[in-house]
Amino acid sequence: MPTNNPLPPKENALFKRILKCYEQKQYKNGLKFAKQILGNPKFSEHGETLAMKGLTLNCLGRKEEAYDYVRRGLRNDLKSHVCWHVYGLLQRSDRKYDEAIKCYRNALKWDKDNLQILRDLSLLQIQMRDLEGYRDTRYQLLVLRPAQRASWIGYAMAYHLLKDFSMALRILEEFRKTQSQPKPFDYEHSELLLYQNMVMREAGMHVNALQHLQEYEHQIVDRLCVCETKAELLLTLGRREEAAAIYRDLINRNPENKAYYKGYEEADHFWVSENPEDRIGFYKEISELFPRATTPRRLPLTFAIGESFKNLVDTYLRKELRKGVPPLFVVLRPLYSDPEKVKIIEELVTGYEQNLREVGCFDRGKTRQLQRAMEYVDKGLEHTPLLIELYVLKAKIYKHAGDMEEAVRMMDEAQSLDTADRYTNSKCAKYMLRAGLIQEACDMCSKFTREGVSAVESLNEMQCMWFQTECAAAYQRLGKWGEALKKCHEIDRHFTEIIEDQFDFHTYCMRKMTLRAYVSLLRLEDQLRSHHFYFKAARIAIQIYLHLHDHPLADSEQENNMDTENLTPSELKKMKRKQRKAQKKAEVEQQKQRAELERREQGKTKATDGELDGPKEEELIPDKLARTEEPLEQAIKFLRPLQNLLPECVETHTVAYKIYSRKGSKLLLMLQSIKRGIAADPNDPQLHTCLIRFYMHVKGQAELPAPVQTVIEQEMGKIYGSKDPKTLNEEFLSTNSCSLQHLLAGAQMMYLLDKSTQEKAISLATTLSSEIQGISLKTCCHVLESLKSGDFGCCDKTVQEYQMKCHSLFPCAAVFMNPSPKVVGDCAILTNGSVS
Amino acid sequence: MTRGRIELGDITQHNIKQLKKLNQVVFPVTYNDKFYKDVLEVGELAKLAYYNDIVIGAVCCRVDTSENQRRLYIMTLGCLAPYRRLGIGTVMLEHVLKICHDDGNFDNVFLHVQVNNEGAIRFYEKFGFEIVEEKKNYYKRIEPADAYVLQKSFRQPKAMQNGEAEKKS
Repeated sequence: MPTNNPLPPKENALFKRILKCYEQKQYKNGLKFAKQILGNPKFSEHGETLAMKGLTLNCLGRKEEAYDYVRRGLRNDLKSHVCWHVYGLLQRSDRKYDEAIKCYRNALKWDKDNLQILRDLSLLQIQMRDLEGYRDTRYQLLVLRPAQRASWIGYAMAYHLLKDFSMALRILEEFRKTQSQPKPFDYEHSELLLYQNMVMREAGMHVNALQHLQEYEHQIVDRLCVCETKAELLLTLGRREEAAAIYRDLINRNPENKAYYKGYEEADHFWVSENPEDRIGFYKEISELFPRATTPRRLPLTFAIGESFKNLVDTYLRKELRKGVPPLFVVLRPLYSDPEKVKIIEELVTGYEQNLREVGCFDRGKTRQLQRAMEYVDKGLEHTPLLIELYVLKAKIYKHAGDMEEAVRMMDEAQSLDTADRYTNSKCAKYMLRAGLIQEACDMCSKFTREGVSAVESLNEMQCMWFQTECAAAYQRLGKWGEALKKCHEIDRHFTEIIEDQFDFHTYCMRKMTLRAYVSLLRLEDQLRSHHFYFKAARIAIQIYLHLHDHPLADSEQENNMDTENLTPSELKKMKRKQRKAQKKAEVEQQKQRAELERREQGKTKATDGELDGPKEEELIPDKLARTEEPLEQAIKFLRPLQNLLPECVETHTVAYKIYSRKGSKLLLMLQSIKRGIAADPNDPQLHTCLIRFYMHVKGQAELPAPVQTVIEQEMGKIYGSKDPKTLNEEFLSTNSCSLQHLLAGAQMMYLLDKSTQEKAISLATTLSSEIQGISLKTCCHVLESLKSGDFGCCDKTVQEYQMKCHSLFPCAAVFMNPSPKVVGDCAILTNGSVS
Repeated sequence: MTRGRIELGDITQHNIKQLKKLNQVVFPVTYNDKFYKDVLEVGELAKLAYYNDIVIGAVCCRVDTSENQRRLYIMTLGCLAPYRRLGIGTVMLEHVLKICHDDGNFDNVFLHVQVNNEGAIRFYEKFGFEIVEEKKNYYKRIEPADAYVLQKSFRQPKAMQNGEAEKKS
């Protein structure tokens, strides 16, 4: 070993014991031995011992000292692989993986065949997806330990992930040949074969894959997977009859799996085009064979039409109704996109209504005939007042009608009838958040969260993201930017956490041979932030950061500057009282939490082997988040994953444009966003506003550097042709003259381009004519917001008029209620009907 | 048409509000908070009745030791109107009678019925209950205010003393 100063035998034995203690997590003892070595003045500066002392201290949570000792050790012995390895481990524990990789590489310089370091390095490389590096490290491990199974598999997998399929297959096949005849039911061998098959299929070698499957069928224990894969391969190879036969067997195995029916239809595709009755007949045959299976009865409803649909849905409904299935509606909902089917179902259900009233209400809710829906629910409640689903439904109807307060009341009623039902409890909490009742929502959730910890904290620990997203949105609506951002960051951290969590699987899966699952895990993690939970949180965060950029908080400004001017004095008083109460409650809560935290902290120090997993994260302080110096950089952090993982979503690019347009003259980035947006959805209304604004922005620029100028001119020519923004806007309006969303965007731009068009623009945006599509509560709210925010200049009177018009269209919606004399109007009629 | 599933279930603090709501709909009398508190403590003596997993009825009893006897008193037994004639009342009453039978130490089981409630009287008579007394002005806020006491005895008068003897020991 090329270390500078080897220890004499006695001290060396002590050093070995430090290593052993570290492995066995006996950190206190480890420190004792270190002291024995370092206590001797001759070795007080012994590098490797100092480094190990540091590493041990790190495990005891004494981070700063740890870094001091490890760095000192390394300085004293720069040629020791131990010191470098230790430094790498320390960095790794702080999740500084890039740094750790560098350290491991240095360690390997001094001891290039050290297995432990090579293994650690390979783990970091796969975690960081340094696939080339991973391949090289795995190669070395294979050379050093050719007899080990993991060496071969790891090396092959490196090529697989690099998409060098033929090399991967060659390695796997070499390895397979070395295996002696496998024992019966050898699961690991079976997994290896299936993995090999998976690589073949990904390489497009369908014929070989099929042969491979047939050859080793008897050694594979996952029979179902063999059948499924075989059927898939036969289908791809066009051997339809054989595929159909297997799919038919699979249906017999599990008549509820939709994928098998799909496979069968594809394989036996002749009647997809020819006779729909044959197709229905097939399902009929199956459901006669398996009378209890729902899938073969449900599936034909999607493609059957007219009279045969009526017959099928009639049988289906009757059977389910007799069983007494109130959530029948959920199963049928996907069919509601077809207006003809809605009509048939409605006819049938109204026919049954005599003795089966409850069900009638379900479809109305979806077809937006809210008034009638409500009547039906009330009839249902009269009939069976304890069908909790009906209260839930009633709450939903109120929500769709825009009366969140009443919706919460109903949902709370539903929840109180069965407080052991977590589903209704969560729904109720969600509705409360929608209504801005954050504290109430937390209290609601606390019925199901761990005792002793506040619900918010517990839900964060459980990575309960729907709650946090709804919370963020609620805070955003209340103008509590910091609190909302905190929630968004918490969600972002969950995603980081999930990516960290894969670390354990790198060794585990390799050992257990669950290779297919492992590869799909790696691929899932690569795509992780494309999940809509992330998208939602990122969207809120970006919106807030943009707002904070445009309206930074003043120093003294309190955050909760809700628009108080719209409230009457009594309401203001009420609100203030509420706030005081909430504050008091929060203080008590905090005190409780602090006590709890202290208690736990004490518990932690007692447990000596308390190994820290991961570094302590910086605490998220709402006020600090809201007062960030660099809101746009923060917004970009949330944007990046969207750009990488969701380029097909046009909103990614419209928000990107909004960020870059505020960031000095990032013309090229703005252009990039627009181009990508066009690729995603050229007719998107938001994108249209970006297009117009970009044109104006470029025209407003003075001198541009020559290369930029050239690029911009060239690209703009492609996008806009020779049209000026006005023509462009006119075209946009006329091609989308029937969509309210598009009209709104077009009208906004019309006014922006020419202030003299105010009247015309407003009339375009505020139309409620019946031939316009998309007149929903949501879009009308957007119009109202836009009018209020000054997108059309000053137009107070129009706002009032529009509000009144919308009020008669959506009588229950709180947003369109006239603020001053509180007219409850039609809503009162509805509330009278409720049983409470 | 196949018959629905009828099941009895426990009353707990989680679903007690369902009992309240049911009683509000089914009975003209309102019960006080103590009623609902006690119901949580009596175990098998109080049950919710489910039809296809929906609460549509309930039965609540308590042990009564008046008249030197050990008696079971049925405080409420009711079912939502649209779900009558489906055998739900029978299931509940059979449950109550089974408790008496298994226990073996009850002298009788009894209840009050408004004098004009013929359906209920017929129902209980089917199970061996008899009118043993008429109480004038039993009910406070409903008409008619008079009630019958319906009772089903489990012992001959001789056995009654047995019961007393046991109680004293």
